[in-house]
Amino acid sequence: MARVITVAVVDDDRMLRDGLRAWLADVPDLRLVATAGTVAELLADPVCGPGSHGPGGTGGPPADVILLDLVLRDGSDPADNIRRLLRTGGRILMISTVPDRSRIIEAIRAGADGYLTKDHDLPTLVAAVKDLAEGRGAHSMELAFACAYDDSPARPRLSPRERQILLDYASGMTLKSAARRAGITVHTAKDYLDRVKAKYQQAGRPTYTKLDLALRVREDSLDGG
Amino acid sequence: MRSGTHRAQSFLIVATLLYRGSHLTVAVMAVVHRPRHLPLQHLGFAAALGLSVLAYGTALRRGWFDPRHIWADILVTGCVLPLALCAWGGVREPPTIAWAMLLGGSASAAAAITLDRLHAVAAVALLVVTHFIGYQAVGATPAVVVGHLNSLVSSAVMTWVFRWYLLRQGRLLDEANARALAAEAHKARYAERLEHHRALHDTVLATLTTLAAGAVDANAPEVRQRCAHEAAYLRRLIQQTADEVPHREIGAALEEAVRSVESLGLRVTAQYHALPQVPPEVAAALGHAVREALNNVRRHAGTGHAYLTATGDPDGSGGAVVTVVDRGPGFDPEQCDAGLGLRGSVHGRMTEAGGRATVDTAPGEGVRVELRWPG
Repeated sequence: MARVITVAVVDDDRMLRDGLRAWLADVPDLRLVATAGTVAELLADPVCGPGSHGPGGTGGPPADVILLDLVLRDGSDPADNIRRLLRTGGRILMISTVPDRSRIIEAIRAGADGYLTKDHDLPTLVAAVKDLAEGRGAHSMELAFACAYDDSPARPRLSPRERQILLDYASGMTLKSAARRAGITVHTAKDYLDRVKAKYQQAGRPTYTKLDLALRVREDSLDGG
Repeated sequence: MRSGTHRAQSFLIVATLLYRGSHLTVAVMAVVHRPRHLPLQHLGFAAALGLSVLAYGTALRRGWFDPRHIWADILVTGCVLPLALCAWGGVREPPTIAWAMLLGGSASAAAAITLDRLHAVAAVALLVVTHFIGYQAVGATPAVVVGHLNSLVSSAVMTWVFRWYLLRQGRLLDEANARALAAEAHKARYAERLEHHRALHDTVLATLTTLAAGAVDANAPEVRQRCAHEAAYLRRLIQQTADEVPHREIGAALEEAVRSVESLGLRVTAQYHALPQVPPEVAAALGHAVREALNNVRRHAGTGHAYLTATGDPDGSGGAVVTVVDRGPGFDPEQCDAGLGLRGSVHGRMTEAGGRATVDTAPGEGVRVELRWPG
C-alpha cells in the first residue's frame, strides 16, 4: 500500500475547514492531521508544533503538505506565514478564493510550492497534494496565469520557450496539449514550468538591492520586455 | 476645451490690442499729415509699431504677454519717444507731440495687467513723470497736462479692474466645470455600482437567500451547480474590476457570452488581465466569437468545462487576446466538419471587426481557439 500522506490546513473559514475534512475523509491515501485558523494556532498544535515528530512519531515533518489560505483574517503577512511553515519541513500548497495575482507571485517567491483557487474539484486538489508529497512541483492554470502576466519589475527573465508553455498552460490547455503545440515532450514541458517556478523561488531568496532592480528593469527594456 | 482663465486672458489681449490699435491709427494720421518733421517722427512711429507687433503678436501666439516686451514698450514708446521728439524732433507745440503721448495710455494699460503690482505702479509712475516733463517742455496748458496724466492712470486702473474681474469669473467657471465633471464621473460610477448591485441581487443574493431560508436542499445537484456559477460570476467580477482603470467593453461582452452558456450547463473558468479599451463593435465581435467557441465546447468537447482567458496584448500595443480552450477529444483539423461552426462564424465575426481567429487542435488534444484584435 502507498504511504499515507499527511495534510494540514490553515484557513480562517471554519466552513471551508470542515468541508475539506469531509472531502479528504474519503480519500484513501491522504490523512488530514490538523486544521487551524492561523499559522500560530497550527504551530501550537501538539501534533504539528515544534518538538513534535509528526503524527505517529515518525520523525518526519509534522505534515507532508500544508494547505495555506493566501490571505488570513488575522492580517498576517502571507510570505511570513510561508516561511514559518517551511521551517516545519512540510511543503506548502496555497489556496484562495479569488486569484490575487501579486499575492500569488509573492507566495511563490517566499517558497510556496503550488497554488490553487478553491473552486477546483477534489481530484485536482488530491493530485496537487500528491505531486507535492512526492517531491514533484504542482502546477495550476491560475499560477501559470499569474506568472505569465506578471509585470512587476522584479520578475525573472523567461526564455521564449518557457514563456510559450507558460502562456498555453495558463490558457487552460493540458500540459500534454501545450507540449504538442510547442513540438516538445510532456516531460520537457513540465521541466519548463518547474524552471519558471524555480526562477521565482530563486529570485525570492536574496532580498533585492535597488541596484539589482535597476539592472533588471534595464535588461527588460533592452530586450523589449 | 479652453479653461475660463485662458478665455479671460485672450479677451484682455484683444481688448488692449484694440486700444493700442486706436492709438496707432491716430499716430499714422499725425505722422502722415506732418511731412516736415520727417525722419525722427517716422523712426519713432516705426519703433512703436514694431514693439506693438512684438508684444501683442507674442501674447496672441503664447496666450499671454511677456513682461520684458511690455517693459520695452513702456521705456521706448512711453518714455524715450516723447522725450526724443521734444529734444531732437523740433517739436515745439503740444498738438504735434500728442500722438506719441497717446501711445503712453495703451502702454500703461498693458503694463497694469501684465506686470506684478510693484512693477506696474513703477511703470505707470515712470510714464506719468516722463509725460509731465514732455508736456512741460512744449509748454502745454495745465488742463492738457492734467487731462493726459489722468488718462494714463485711469487706463491702468481700468484694465487692472477688468483683469481682476475677468480672471475671477474665469476661475469660478473653471471650478464649476470641474465640479460638473466630478459629478458626472460620480454619477457614472454610481450607475456602474447600481448595475453590479442589480446583477448581484438577481444572482448571488437570490441564491443565498433561498439557501438561508432552508426551502431547498443545498446538496441537490442543480443547487450546487447554481452556487458554482454564482461563485464563478463573482470571481470574474472581481477580476474585471481589479484594474485601476477598468475598461468594461470587453468584460461586459464576455460576461454575456459566459452567462448564456452557463445557463445551458457549461462550466467556465475565466481569467482576465488588464483588459484593454476597444471600440464597441470589436467588443461585440469578441463576445459573439467567444459565445460561438463556448457553444462549440458545450456541443463537442463532452467535458462540460471550458477555459476562457482575456488579456491585453502582452506587447503593450493596446490590442486584445482572448482564448477559449477545452480538454475534450479535439478533432483532426485536416478532415473534420466539427470545425465548421468555428471556421464560419468565429472567423467571420473576427475578420469583419479587423481581428483574427486561429483554431489549434489534434485528435485527443482538446481545442484551443485564439482570438486576436487587431488581427
